[in-house]
Amino acid sequence: MAPTKDEQELFAPGHRACPGCGEAIATRWILKATGANVIIVSPTGCLETFSSPYMFSPWRVPWVHPLFENGAAVASGIEAALRYKGRSDIRVVVIGGDGATFDIGMGGLSGMFERGHPVPYICYDNEAYMNTGVQRCSSTPLFASTTTQPAGRKSWGKDRPKKNMPAIAMAHDIDYVATASASYPKDLHDKVERALTMEGPSYIQVHTPCCTGWGFPPEKTIEIGRLAVNTGLAPLFEMEAGEVTSVHRIAKKVPVKEYLMAQSRFKHLMGSEEGRKEVEKIQRVADRNIERLGLL
Amino acid sequence: MRTSIGAVVEGGTSLNYKTGNWREFRPVFVAGIAPCRESCPAGIDIARFIREVKSQQFDRAWQTIVEENPFPSVCGRVCSHPCEEACNRKEFDEPLAINSLERFVGDHGLKNAMMVAAPKAERRERVAIVGSGPAGLSCAYHLRRLGYGVKVLERSPSAGGILRWGIPEYRLPGTILDGEIERLSRIGIEIEPRVSLGTEFLADGLKDFSAIFLALGAQRELGLGIPGENSPGVVSGLDFLRGVNEGRPAELGKRVVVIGGGNTAIDVARTALRLGSRSTLIYRRTRKEMPAIPSEVEETRKEGVEIQFLASPVGITAQKGQGLRLECLRNRMGKSGPDGRRRPVPIEGSNFSIESDTIVVAIGAVVDPQGLTQFPQWTEAGIAVDEWGSTGLPGIFAGGDFTPGPRTVSHAIGSGKKAALAIDAFINGRDKDHAKSVFLGNRGSLSMEDWIQPSPMVGRSDRVIAYQDLNRLYFEPRPREGMPQIPNGAGRIASFDEVNLGFSGEIAIQEAERCFACGTCSLCENCYTFCPDGSLWREDPHEPFEIDYEFCKGCGICAHECPSRFIEMVREEK
Amino acid sequence: MEKMEILEGSMAVAVAVKACKPGVISAYPISPQTHIVEALAKMVADGELNSQYVLSDSEFSAASIVYGASAAGVRSYTASSSQGLLLMTEVIYNAAGTRLPMVLTGVNRAISAPISIQVDHQDTLSLRDSGLIQFYVESAQEAYDMHIQAFRIAEDPEVLLPVMICMDGWVLTHSYEPVELIPQKAVDAFLPSYRPVHCLDPEHPLTFGSYAEDDVLMELKYMIQGAMEKAKERIGVVASDFQRITGHPDAGLIEAYGTERAEVILVGMGSLVGTMKEAVDAMRSDGIPVGLVKVRCYRPFPAEAILEICRSASAVAVLDRGFSMGSEGPLSLDVKAALCNLERPRIFSFIAGLAGREITTETIQKITAETMEAAKSRRVVRGSQWVDLNRSIL
Repeated sequence: MAPTKDEQELFAPGHRACPGCGEAIATRWILKATGANVIIVSPTGCLETFSSPYMFSPWRVPWVHPLFENGAAVASGIEAALRYKGRSDIRVVVIGGDGATFDIGMGGLSGMFERGHPVPYICYDNEAYMNTGVQRCSSTPLFASTTTQPAGRKSWGKDRPKKNMPAIAMAHDIDYVATASASYPKDLHDKVERALTMEGPSYIQVHTPCCTGWGFPPEKTIEIGRLAVNTGLAPLFEMEAGEVTSVHRIAKKVPVKEYLMAQSRFKHLMGSEEGRKEVEKIQRVADRNIERLGLL
Repeated sequence: MRTSIGAVVEGGTSLNYKTGNWREFRPVFVAGIAPCRESCPAGIDIARFIREVKSQQFDRAWQTIVEENPFPSVCGRVCSHPCEEACNRKEFDEPLAINSLERFVGDHGLKNAMMVAAPKAERRERVAIVGSGPAGLSCAYHLRRLGYGVKVLERSPSAGGILRWGIPEYRLPGTILDGEIERLSRIGIEIEPRVSLGTEFLADGLKDFSAIFLALGAQRELGLGIPGENSPGVVSGLDFLRGVNEGRPAELGKRVVVIGGGNTAIDVARTALRLGSRSTLIYRRTRKEMPAIPSEVEETRKEGVEIQFLASPVGITAQKGQGLRLECLRNRMGKSGPDGRRRPVPIEGSNFSIESDTIVVAIGAVVDPQGLTQFPQWTEAGIAVDEWGSTGLPGIFAGGDFTPGPRTVSHAIGSGKKAALAIDAFINGRDKDHAKSVFLGNRGSLSMEDWIQPSPMVGRSDRVIAYQDLNRLYFEPRPREGMPQIPNGAGRIASFDEVNLGFSGEIAIQEAERCFACGTCSLCENCYTFCPDGSLWREDPHEPFEIDYEFCKGCGICAHECPSRFIEMVREEK
Repeated sequence: MEKMEILEGSMAVAVAVKACKPGVISAYPISPQTHIVEALAKMVADGELNSQYVLSDSEFSAASIVYGASAAGVRSYTASSSQGLLLMTEVIYNAAGTRLPMVLTGVNRAISAPISIQVDHQDTLSLRDSGLIQFYVESAQEAYDMHIQAFRIAEDPEVLLPVMICMDGWVLTHSYEPVELIPQKAVDAFLPSYRPVHCLDPEHPLTFGSYAEDDVLMELKYMIQGAMEKAKERIGVVASDFQRITGHPDAGLIEAYGTERAEVILVGMGSLVGTMKEAVDAMRSDGIPVGLVKVRCYRPFPAEAILEICRSASAVAVLDRGFSMGSEGPLSLDVKAALCNLERPRIFSFIAGLAGREITTETIQKITAETMEAAKSRRVVRGSQWVDLNRSIL
């Protein structure tokens, strides 16, 4: 699978992602699955910003950054145009962040799902508005500290659970919904390939650890992502026609504390009795995922 | 530079922005020493040849082995494989079947008539090797590769030493040995059989040869030191095996008792079975202390040799016309002796006896000085030499069983190699300790490849990779592949056909996939997979990656996720 | 040869768009745009129009869909009104900045709050800064003609900007007028297939939507203004081509009506101009030296043409059907800017007809009289005058 120097990474080096960026890993592998005969749409976000400083683009495939909230809508238009030209062999794929997907672009995404465009929408989820400085998003998990909902003397950080976007996607009766992780790139790759076989829309949510925003050293990106999966907080599964068709089984369950204490966005939960109680709530979230999806 | 309409730009232009200058630390491939290699007396780059098997490059795997050891098919059958004891995978599930993989690669070489390369340049000096056993032939091989003229002088009709006459066919078929020795002749090593030498050779020989390597082996059986040991029907294990090999096996009768616990003893016991006798083996300690290769002991037991542990012989009496009676005492294990091994302590009054037609003594071999008494430090263990095989007499070197040390084939091969380097240094007037730079770890293994042509590509460290150094999350437990064999039973012991059948290609590859590749690359591609900046590339899909330092940001993920501890993060020099 | 049909204004637009064969149409319904997009939908459903008709979930999405289709190199069309146009605003700026051609119909309607579905120009005027080319049409015929030209203007390699044809809601869209239709062959001759200057194509991967730093951003924006300036010339070329091929008149960036030796010149846009022309006719026959400039192309603003016509008048009265809250009527601001370095004429701004309030010929005459009086007395009039305001309900 590995290229020689002559074969090119479709997502070329020289982009300006933070060292250790989980999204960059995911994007490389998404493009390995799509191949070159693709048009990528990226709404505003980390990926867009670090990959498109004027005159320095790593995209060796056609790529468009429109606005923040219209990745899905623009992709719909491109897909319609290609269909008009009789070139539906060229696939359209959206790679957008959690901010653009969970919040501001959700309406347009719903429209794309409802209309049934054969577009895989891949959301890289770093669980906050990272690009603009780690602000809270509906994707931010319970009790994570962000700059617009920070932990403080009167706050544990985010007080609402993480929005369940895969369920929302599935509620649209689309062909394929999956979750993936930057720590399991080949699994992500295979899921993107699967999505491309679908006749209608699909949604893949990729958990992409962010060393800058979550607070851990960059070399641990893969390790942190793995911990998230093995606690049950970032379950990996596939769904088709409303039924779960596969799960990534956790070989050895990890208590959420191990995952939380490795990141400074959760450090306010450590070292106090009250904090421990809040951690239990997070553990319940993980346990529920494990039970519901049969991950053990 | 003009601006483009609508700020639309060409794709791929980020290659003009060298993110490499963001780095504070850079990842560097640093080869650590795998514990298997450290423990291999022959110094084989085991992790590398296994990687080459894994990627189905059997030819390259063969080249990797013969870089250090000319006898993969032989060693793959008879080596005691200390590498497997040292293998880090042992702590995870089971050690790699390294020995079987070596055999697989060696046999691949034989099947495909693969040859080693002739030396690039010829030197005018010649070296004489006395004895064509594993030590002598190894020394000959490495000297020849360094360009020297080499002549091997052998007393027997055929070359091979103990490999030829001391190891039975069902373990090491003669055709295999022939094949591996033949290869040496092809690169210009002269082997002269049926040569008798007197001690004057040590002086005269240095007129024709620049150096002499003595590898006469340990030819004499150690005596029991009990009454009746010279009775007819009591034979030495080494003599017996030699007789079998030369086609004149001793008459054993129906019942054979073998005394001893080493490889020779069990070789005798299993050979006796195949000659139609019933075999009993007595050993004075327990199974744990037996010096023989444990898997061979297991085969011995499976084939039906009765093994009695904790029994020592005390006397032999000839029964009139009815064979021999061996009187024994039972032992218990006592305290450790000076060699660290627990001593057997006889139990008073526990005498018992065994009736037998033949008693074979195989308790150890000693060096027969054969008149070479000018070596003041000679003992039964052999001629004293330094770690390089230098005897102290200028130009005279020795190794293998002829010198003190473990009596194993791999040790012999290693000693021949070291002596070759020492001889090379001697002939060129260099200090032999200069070759210390090619030692790997602390157990005497050294790299001939490094001596001939060190590779600057990858950094080297002296670190021997321990189990804790590895990132084991990327390995799944999987049992070790078993060696296919002739099924145990009457059929197996009815002939001297080779018992172990060898791995097939598929099984070899599967087993190779279990290798942790400690300190080197296992081709797992983790570094490439997880690099956020796509800064790893390679031309050859069977080789490790190269790092594109123009773009690598030094995030450290590759080093962190490398299962084999092959990547270090080093501070960037400003 | 030419077919004359009585068509609802919306249908005239739909027929024009159909003749231009867009590859992708996307729209979200909002009164009074609905008849246009419904007519197009029926054409698609009956197989008369081979477009991909994408039913969007909002105007934002509709504009985005059209943006995407245009970026993929396909001719695209949308239409909206009022709130919908505001929701499209972000995308229109984006399309202009990315230099993507698209054509939209802006069916003029007032903007909330308070909500009203009646006509005024506030919605399209509020897009005036975006880089969107805007034409204001007076009749169904003009709507038909301008939509066909709009595609060519937008796709012109020296323009490459979105183009909006503004037509008054209800007044033009829901009334029936005779429209002379152009045979398809002539349309095809006038408007060849779209050949994009840049597009999303795996054969030649390009990156759209980079972010630009301050070392280059001003230049990129300047280039948009440059395209706008160039568009004035290109619009003229397209119009004369249109006249040559179809026989329909080349009306230019402005239409001057009775402006020879006029002392007072009225300026207006949209269907209101029809009433203004009637009033001008009546006044001139009474000997009042009044003329009219109809601004057809509002962006790019035809400052030179207006300057040329108005420099000899003593007063100019601009009728705005929208307002820039906190300042003046937008059209009057543009006219004042065009004429600011002249000593004469004096310029007077009037706000009339917001949210569908009727403007009669009497109103026009009153405005004209007031203007003449103010000009003569050299009275200073700052800001805009809101015409026919019912002060008793303030």
